[in-house]
Amino acid sequence: MASMLEFRTPGFNPYSVKYSPYYDSRLAVAASANYGIVGNGRLYCLGLSAQGVQLEKAFDTNDALYDLAWSECNENQLVVATGDGSIKLFDLAVDQFPVMNWHEHKREAFSVSWNPISKDTFISSSWDGTVKLWTPTRNVSMATLPVGCCTYSTSFAPTNPALVSAVSSDSHLRIYDMRTPVSAKYHLTVTIPVHAPPSGAVLPRLRSPIPGGPPGQTYAGAIPSEVLTHDWNKYAETVIATAGVDRTIRTFDIRNPAGGPASVMMGHEYAVRRVAWSPHARDILVSASYDMTVRVWTDGSTMPPPVPPAPGPVHNPAENTVRPGVQLGLMNRHTEFATGVDWCLFGSGGWVASVGWDERVLLWDAHTLLRG
Amino acid sequence: MAVERLGSILKHLSPGSPLSAITSKNADDIVITLAIRSPLAKARKGGFKDSSVEYLAYAILKEVKERSNLDPALVEDICMGNVSDGKAAYKLRAAALSAGFPNTSSAYSINRFCSSGLKATADIANSISAGNIEVGIAMGVESMTIGGDALENPFDEEVTKHSQESQDCMQPMGWTSENVSRDFGITREEMDKYAAESFQRAERAQKAGLFDDEIAPIKTRIKDANGEWKEIIVSKDEGIRPGTTAETLGKIRAAFPQWGPTTTGGNASQVTDGAAALLLMKRSTAIRLGQPIVAKYVGSTVAGLPPRIMGIGPTVAIPKLLSQYNLTLDDIDVVEINEAFASMAVYCRDKLNIPWEKMNPKGGAIALGHPLGATGARQVVTGLSELRRTGKKILLTSMCIGTGMGMAGLFVNEM
Repeated sequence: MASMLEFRTPGFNPYSVKYSPYYDSRLAVAASANYGIVGNGRLYCLGLSAQGVQLEKAFDTNDALYDLAWSECNENQLVVATGDGSIKLFDLAVDQFPVMNWHEHKREAFSVSWNPISKDTFISSSWDGTVKLWTPTRNVSMATLPVGCCTYSTSFAPTNPALVSAVSSDSHLRIYDMRTPVSAKYHLTVTIPVHAPPSGAVLPRLRSPIPGGPPGQTYAGAIPSEVLTHDWNKYAETVIATAGVDRTIRTFDIRNPAGGPASVMMGHEYAVRRVAWSPHARDILVSASYDMTVRVWTDGSTMPPPVPPAPGPVHNPAENTVRPGVQLGLMNRHTEFATGVDWCLFGSGGWVASVGWDERVLLWDAHTLLRG
Repeated sequence: MAVERLGSILKHLSPGSPLSAITSKNADDIVITLAIRSPLAKARKGGFKDSSVEYLAYAILKEVKERSNLDPALVEDICMGNVSDGKAAYKLRAAALSAGFPNTSSAYSINRFCSSGLKATADIANSISAGNIEVGIAMGVESMTIGGDALENPFDEEVTKHSQESQDCMQPMGWTSENVSRDFGITREEMDKYAAESFQRAERAQKAGLFDDEIAPIKTRIKDANGEWKEIIVSKDEGIRPGTTAETLGKIRAAFPQWGPTTTGGNASQVTDGAAALLLMKRSTAIRLGQPIVAKYVGSTVAGLPPRIMGIGPTVAIPKLLSQYNLTLDDIDVVEINEAFASMAVYCRDKLNIPWEKMNPKGGAIALGHPLGATGARQVVTGLSELRRTGKKILLTSMCIGTGMGMAGLFVNEM
């Protein structure tokens, strides 16, 4: 396939990559020594130039780094989520040390995300079962949202500054609305059980398997497993894609929490570590998985609805409302777990950065996958 | 910490099968670090005929203390299953204090009839899971010799007049066995054939020394024929009748001719005294204390059914438990079902389609005995021993419960 830009991070295994929202030639990679199990972390700030991908600055940390987020209000700053639970703010103009360090999480912090609308807050999620809301100018958290179990990923809604989403190891997707008054529910407004069948499902429907899926996975419901990643659709404000250990990517509409997945994408052979919706198309998303591949999908929302089966002896009219997504392409240049993907916002669209434990950062054009 | 991170990544990679979900090793799993039982001695005639409930509790707790190499002060709670003795809780507390557990440990007794030992295990496990305690002992003790608390007086008619099932709760277990064999068409021949197999399996296992790793010999005393106290060591199960065949069992007359012809003393559980104990803690605690991890407690459940056919309890409890974990009987390596009567054992085996080789491979209560409160824990000890011997993994235990219930428990062997 077409050429890729490559950067190597020897000695460190990348976990996350993000393009800068300010510069089309800047991206950052959060990496950890020894696959993030033990050892230091290193934050790489990279720049694209005529000579390829170059290291602009690197920051070392005491413990592993699992995620990063660029600041939306300062073009030189970014936050990282570290293995000892601390969140650190680095400035590219300040060498070596973080300018802020927030240490409130009691266990590994797995994800961090900046508010793209109000730009003045960011959130982090941790193995300690909480999501914390921060602002860069205060040294304590502004709010703590209890999730209860290991929370792998958290994100702000791209269209609404008050909505926070989090996915966790108890296989639930939770939406918090920060505008609601604080109550016993701590802003929790919607809980979607990712693996549950749609409520009201007739029993025989639970048996209908997704073709080619692992045993126990049906259109309607599946064995609950950990959800490792999620992302908000950039065009449809209410659609979220989740994916995790059961190798399946599901999309949900938060207006219909009990309605089951709107679309199901199967094909990965191992757990999916990261999903990212395209900023240029409403139905395209990219996923990185432990099966060393990065795959591009369409969730089928731009395709005609599936044809329900002919009425049979056990006909359930709602049988095929789950849309199977379609895999558009597969990138298998990584030789270790692929752990991070991000779309570039700039240019003609389609450029993806992916990172994997093979110590490589690869920049490539997803459109070449679709043609090839 | 690194261990937990590695464990987290490994959990992502597990194929996600229900079996891998229960066999995965997590720091918060409840694990068994010691599983022992006393030999089961014949009631009224055997080695424990003059041993009190508190003595059996004391003896098994002393064995737990010595064999576990654990500082007894770390044990926070002890739960003993016992059915017949209304004062069991007092006696357990006294026994624990004498056995060397400090007064800072706690103790209580529990009674859900034949499942009391398994219920004790589940209770202690749940207590540890909830963070109420860190280390606990689940045990069961029963002296069928002493018995006691038999239903001599009928219940208040004001209560029982409202429900036939309520009256059925007063009926003896033999009556329920005849109901099962009549309602489900289990013949005397099938029952004798089942019972003979149970005896033969137990006899083979005993001769091959397969019970040696699970039995803790108990030193006690009995009154001999002259009324003199004699010290003895009980080290072998006494209920096993060598050379039993279906023909020899066929000659035994019915035990309850007033209710039916099928149940006899030969195809019903032996009446024995005995005790069993399990030491439980979280996996992280076991690693921290240097305790060997024998097995993992996965979960248990209980289900109810009509009291008049209480014997078929496992046929409701087992499917319920398996569905909670998305498992099938194919995933299970050893199934220990309490053989209260051959009628219910045959019915449960055939209704659930359990391959006979998997069910009670070392014999069951018909050969070994059924000390009511201890059986729940005794089955776990025996089942785990068999898994260790064969190198297999998954144990399912179940029993019927008088007054119409069934309980089932799931364990994973890790040795």
